[in-house]
Amino acid sequence: MRRSQNKRTTRLLAALAIALVAVLALVPTSAVAMTTNKATARPNEDGGSGVIGGMDTRLTWEGTVEDGEELTAITLSLPDGATFDHSTTRVTVLEGLKRVEIGNSTTPSGSSITVKFDEAIPADSLVRLEITDMQFPSEGGDYAVSGTYETADGTRQLADSPTIAIIANTPLQAAVNWLDEQPAVQAWNSVPFLGMFLKPQLLLTSFSSLFPGWLVCLAIVIAAYPFAILLGMVFALLKISKYKVVRAIAIIYINILRGTPLFLQIYIMFFGLPMIGINIDNNVLGVIVMAINSSAYLAEIFRAGIESIPVGQYEAASSLGMTHMQTMTNIIIPQTVRRVLPTVTSDFITAYKDTSLLSSVGVMELMMFSKNLTTVSGNITPYMAAAIFYLIVTLPLIKIVGIVESNIARSERGGGPRPKRKGASEATAESDLTNSATAVHAETADKKLEDALAGVFAPFRPQTQTPEV
Amino acid sequence: MKNMNRRTFLEGLGLAAGTFSLAACGGNSSDSGTDSGAKDDSAAPADDGSYTLVEDGKLTVVAELGFAPFEYMDEKTGEPEGFDVDFAKALGEAMGLETTYLPNQKFDTLVPTIKQGGKADVAIAAITINDERAESIDFTDPYLDSNQSIVCRAGSGETEESLNDASKTVCCQSGTTGDEWISENLSNATKVPLDDVTAALTGIQTGSYDAMVVDLPVSQYLIKQSFSDLEVVEEIPTGEQYGVCVSKDNPNLTAALNEAIAKIKSDGTMDKIETEWFGTTL
Repeated sequence: MRRSQNKRTTRLLAALAIALVAVLALVPTSAVAMTTNKATARPNEDGGSGVIGGMDTRLTWEGTVEDGEELTAITLSLPDGATFDHSTTRVTVLEGLKRVEIGNSTTPSGSSITVKFDEAIPADSLVRLEITDMQFPSEGGDYAVSGTYETADGTRQLADSPTIAIIANTPLQAAVNWLDEQPAVQAWNSVPFLGMFLKPQLLLTSFSSLFPGWLVCLAIVIAAYPFAILLGMVFALLKISKYKVVRAIAIIYINILRGTPLFLQIYIMFFGLPMIGINIDNNVLGVIVMAINSSAYLAEIFRAGIESIPVGQYEAASSLGMTHMQTMTNIIIPQTVRRVLPTVTSDFITAYKDTSLLSSVGVMELMMFSKNLTTVSGNITPYMAAAIFYLIVTLPLIKIVGIVESNIARSERGGGPRPKRKGASEATAESDLTNSATAVHAETADKKLEDALAGVFAPFRPQTQTPEV
Repeated sequence: MKNMNRRTFLEGLGLAAGTFSLAACGGNSSDSGTDSGAKDDSAAPADDGSYTLVEDGKLTVVAELGFAPFEYMDEKTGEPEGFDVDFAKALGEAMGLETTYLPNQKFDTLVPTIKQGGKADVAIAAITINDERAESIDFTDPYLDSNQSIVCRAGSGETEESLNDASKTVCCQSGTTGDEWISENLSNATKVPLDDVTAALTGIQTGSYDAMVVDLPVSQYLIKQSFSDLEVVEEIPTGEQYGVCVSKDNPNLTAALNEAIAKIKSDGTMDKIETEWFGTTL
């Protein structure tokens, strides 16, 4: 009997306790006097957009004081592992868009921070706290900012903010942090020039974050160049046409494009076309501008190349009974291609570098990425990383141009390899001059292509072999 | 022993900074008291050590001159104009210096330029005071309050929520507080930082971008002046404050500028400039 009564009392007490807890928990939330508007964190991933835990970032918290209330203090807290120590806080109080100066004092302590206001903040005010150099827990996760606030009638619980996604440290960031600690790296960075232009940590992050921009650069120029070559060929042929009008069209096209800066052409296309209602994707438009611009230079290169072929070649072809078309496709153009290859490669290099100008109109290419990174870091290193990215492509090309040029020079002097002795059918064709044109025709398309390619790539072949006699 | 030396040196520095800031405070309070006294003060700032200038007798200002109504180039003369320009001239006058402007420079290069030193004394270009910038340069006292805004095509029906989407492109001027605001608040949208505001707004007109985040006074002014088919879809109350950037190596110049700011605020010059550019005092 006694026992059961005891049990009942304990049960009653427990129920009471639960009720009390529930009431206590409900009271702060029932009368909302301070609404949490938002909480955001500044991305602190070098060259990225993530917020990494365990590294300095800036937390921005915003709340509104509701009707009939006055705010005297506010405490923000984050789960354990976050730290507000060593942080600095900027407090902004706004009535509408108007700033109100209210004195305040901030006390960071571990994972919470308290701001006390010298005078109560009136209702309808917006309170913003910008806490610089605080850190989120290093293991990452989604964190909501909670806390309490004080009004005239006591302390209450703040509504949780929307969560902020924090990422755990990335391998790249870990590598950067490791570099940070190396005495050699610190010594290197302490030299103003080295630290400003070639900071190892930033070089590392630059490489990873500039990579997509580099791909865009390459994609644009590689997509643009075939069109540029085609267009250039067309305008080269137009320019050496017999008809004055056709020549005039080509001359106008080439001269206007060569006579104005690419930068201007980009602006005209990117701002002009949309104004007349033509909307093209930025990257595609980038390809178009680059193709058109290069085509003018290529047209001139091709024209000069065609005109550099000695008249004797035309005469020889016609003496073999070739038509004008045959002469062009079999004799002149292959030789031209060989001659212009170095110049075209140089133009390709120029075009590749000129994609950087597209950054000014918002194409997300290499220059754009490095510019953003430089802005964020206040350091020149991302530009140096971009330079390396450009050089990765241009240096080998420049080397190739050099080799090709020297080979061409040698073959023009009469040195270099001789064509291999061909099979019997060709021997017949060679011996029977009058039939040679038809013989060329009789050759399979494959064979023709092979020969043409062999001719074109002759300058690239190793020149050490002894010519067959 | 070595440690001792360093510590005493640091103490010495702290002491110097302390006395200096006290002196600066004193200067300020005397300013607001009597105008005539302040004039003498600013003419001879050598009270607490003189400041250095890039060019003697001149206050050399660097700015991004595409941020109307704060600073922009006059269409006919090509001279800098705007609220900040008048403010800079007033500062120069109060300090007995001639104000000259360097050629237009991109916004994101202004703070590094001042940090390096040697080219310009100050950057006055609607630069918001924040702790991150304050790590590399010194700010004077704030001279103007401002806010941010989201600009879209008129009738686009965009909101902050609808813009925070992977299909949206939001542009800004590179290195501005608007730039940061997009990274933090519109993290899903594609951010395009551009060099100049006109290019950004033209881009919105033509549909290349969906929105721009830029200082509210600028968007209001430019929409009224030349971008009538755009509208401010949201005013972002940031309450940020503009300050003048000065090199950390030149603390006496910062002090002298603070004095000058206090002076032109108290003698009504600031009100006059505000009324001229915003139609009202702020």
